[in-house]
Amino acid sequence: MERTAGGKWNKYLAAGIFMTGLAVLLGIVGFFWTPYSTTAMSAAEKFAPPSLRHLFGTDNFGRDIFSRVMQGLGTTISISSLVVLLSGTAGVFLGAFTGYFGGVADELVMRITDALNGFPSILLTLVIISVLGSGRQNVIISLGLVFVPSYVRIVRSEFIRLRDADYIKRARLMGVGSFRVLFVHILPNIFSVFWVSVMIGFNNAILAESGMSYLGIGVQPPDASLGMMLSDAQGYLQSAPWYALAPGLTIVWVVLGFSLFSEGLRRQIAA
Amino acid sequence: MIKIEDLSVAFGDTEVVKHVSLELPQGEILGVVGESGSGKSVTALTLMGLCAASARITTGRILFDDVVLQEAGRTCDRNLYRQYQGSRMSMVFQEPMTSLNPTQRVGRQVEEVLRLHGSLTREEMRERVLNTFEAVGLHDTEKVYASYPHQLSGGMRQRVMIAMAVILHPRLIVADEPTTALDVTIQNQIIALLGEISQKQKNAMLFITHDLNLARRLCHRIAVMKNGMVVEYGRTEDIFGNPKEEYTKKLIEAVPSRMHRRRPVANVTKKEDRGRLDGAAPVLQVRDLSVYYQEGNNSLFSRKKKQCVVSGADFEVYRGESLGLVGESGCGKTSLSKAILGMNRDIQGKIIHAAPRPQMVFQDPYSSLNPTKTIGWLLQEPLRAACVRDQALDMTKADMEAAAHDMLHRVGMGDDYFHRKPSQLSGGQRQRVSIAQALITKPGFIIADEPVSALDVTIQAQILELLRGLQEELHLSCLFISHDINVVYQMCDRIMVMKSGRIIEIGETEALFTSPREAYTRLLLCESA
Repeated sequence: MERTAGGKWNKYLAAGIFMTGLAVLLGIVGFFWTPYSTTAMSAAEKFAPPSLRHLFGTDNFGRDIFSRVMQGLGTTISISSLVVLLSGTAGVFLGAFTGYFGGVADELVMRITDALNGFPSILLTLVIISVLGSGRQNVIISLGLVFVPSYVRIVRSEFIRLRDADYIKRARLMGVGSFRVLFVHILPNIFSVFWVSVMIGFNNAILAESGMSYLGIGVQPPDASLGMMLSDAQGYLQSAPWYALAPGLTIVWVVLGFSLFSEGLRRQIAA
Repeated sequence: MIKIEDLSVAFGDTEVVKHVSLELPQGEILGVVGESGSGKSVTALTLMGLCAASARITTGRILFDDVVLQEAGRTCDRNLYRQYQGSRMSMVFQEPMTSLNPTQRVGRQVEEVLRLHGSLTREEMRERVLNTFEAVGLHDTEKVYASYPHQLSGGMRQRVMIAMAVILHPRLIVADEPTTALDVTIQNQIIALLGEISQKQKNAMLFITHDLNLARRLCHRIAVMKNGMVVEYGRTEDIFGNPKEEYTKKLIEAVPSRMHRRRPVANVTKKEDRGRLDGAAPVLQVRDLSVYYQEGNNSLFSRKKKQCVVSGADFEVYRGESLGLVGESGCGKTSLSKAILGMNRDIQGKIIHAAPRPQMVFQDPYSSLNPTKTIGWLLQEPLRAACVRDQALDMTKADMEAAAHDMLHRVGMGDDYFHRKPSQLSGGQRQRVSIAQALITKPGFIIADEPVSALDVTIQAQILELLRGLQEELHLSCLFISHDINVVYQMCDRIMVMKSGRIIEIGETEALFTSPREAYTRLLLCESA
């Protein structure tokens, strides 16, 4: 692991890597193997409290919560990654062109993003889902769309800052083509800023996906999702608190881990 | 009497000031001269008690009338310093724009010094501020009092800063490069003002600068600093008349002056000969050029105002010639160069290039190289772009690499820089790379916009020497922009003088220096003598 300039370990980065790494690992393993089948019900083991046999206990159908959390993690992380990939890529392209060239296209794109920002994001996804229909794919599309404006803004402002830098002026004087100026000369210079915003965006995507599943407009049963588990557990908060705690704390774990990771990365870059 | 005795200051384990001893008697101006990193600013900041918390005094002490302000092994006593700062010692900084609060009227800001240190009524304070404004040469004092910093020019802002520093008649004034950000003519006024104040108020002054000429004009004594040490310390006449140290001699020689005349380009001596010898048109012809500038932001709804920044420019640059362009900031030098390069299309008149793709060397070496690329990549990029434009130009990767290495050698840098990034280079080295990058496609004509203004004096001399050599080697034509008429004198065959968007005089260097036609040219010449 790298060390910071002060010679101290970057604790944020270390903790972030550990927490995120564990969550991602569990999620990936969850795609192929879980300790119990995520759909196997057992009337005899309804609401079993956490034990060595069932690490996080069982739910109202006697299903193993740990197995379902593993699967839910996989769902949440994969959806969030795709959302970030989709909105980040669109954001880079739109932000780069609008920031660098400006003009009418810039004005148009910015007003559209302003309009998108004007709606609460959950309301907007609700509308898109009701048009497209629910399902994993449509969750990704709708969240991707909702998150585009934040990336456009960051990328655009960085491109505006750098388009007048002396080294960009000189690149133009050399006759370097616009496309190459945009993506070879400028883009690498905004990496540090963009990377941190991707990290924050990833966290927001996780929370938004969980929120949608909680409201029942996200991933549909029998697929497990952390948000859906939270909503199922709502009725049993007093009789089986572990049912709600397991997915809830998992979300906290992932989001906290990613926050630490991005903060650590920011400090690492600054140092 | 203020004394610095055997002072050493360290950041962490590195000592940046080493065993410095200086004395400042009343009424005397002491110049501390040195290049960046010589420790002159740290010495001044330590004296003022303004050093960063990570700085540590390892030896020596600072005495103010026999009171020990700071000494080794004692942490800086902020409360003790507060009794001295402002009232008995004050400071003038380099950048007058950032030293004033942009959201407050300057009158109020100067008044604050009085509020903190005195017991005057509001009316008395106002009266005193207006008087001080007048004393530092500000006219229309009532208007200045009510102005915000952005409404004042650089010179006026610096006068306000000086008013703030002298209003309480402090015993010690520390001026840290107070004129570096200003134009030459303003520079001289500020220097004269500082001299006048020290004579009138009889305060001791510590004048920090990298410019030996300024120190020579203002200071009674001079201390030359290098790597944190005072290498030479003595009366100004002795330092200049009879420098003992090798480094001092080097510094004095490096200052651009009219002693070193540029050798005229071989076999081209007279203006009328140039065109004939080449038998071709000039590299650049500018005919009755006017350049406009759009005011206001590029919003859809705001009305755009057009402003004429250059009008009626008419000149030509011949092959192998270097043409100087001098003028104060804001006179349109940069707008003219941008128009010539095609970076501003809002023009009237004609620009005729014989060289296809003129290049430019910028002032700031820190922003003219892309920080994410290696030196080798940067040098090859112009070639790659040229290959994309011109299919006939067939260069292999190896060709480009060889060309880049060759250019790196020409600007006096070794192969080991090829894989480094700009952040690992010094300012002078970056400027060398910039020059190499501009010349690698053999453009035939380049514009150098204040290429040495951001560099230390000795580095300046090296870069100018390099540019001269390359010009002769490559038969390069050059438009050399500078605010320093002495630098232009060394570098150029002909000189243009620009004022408020107009070229007011153009002529052979020698002729222009010996018999200037315009009053403004005479003023520029005598201000920088």
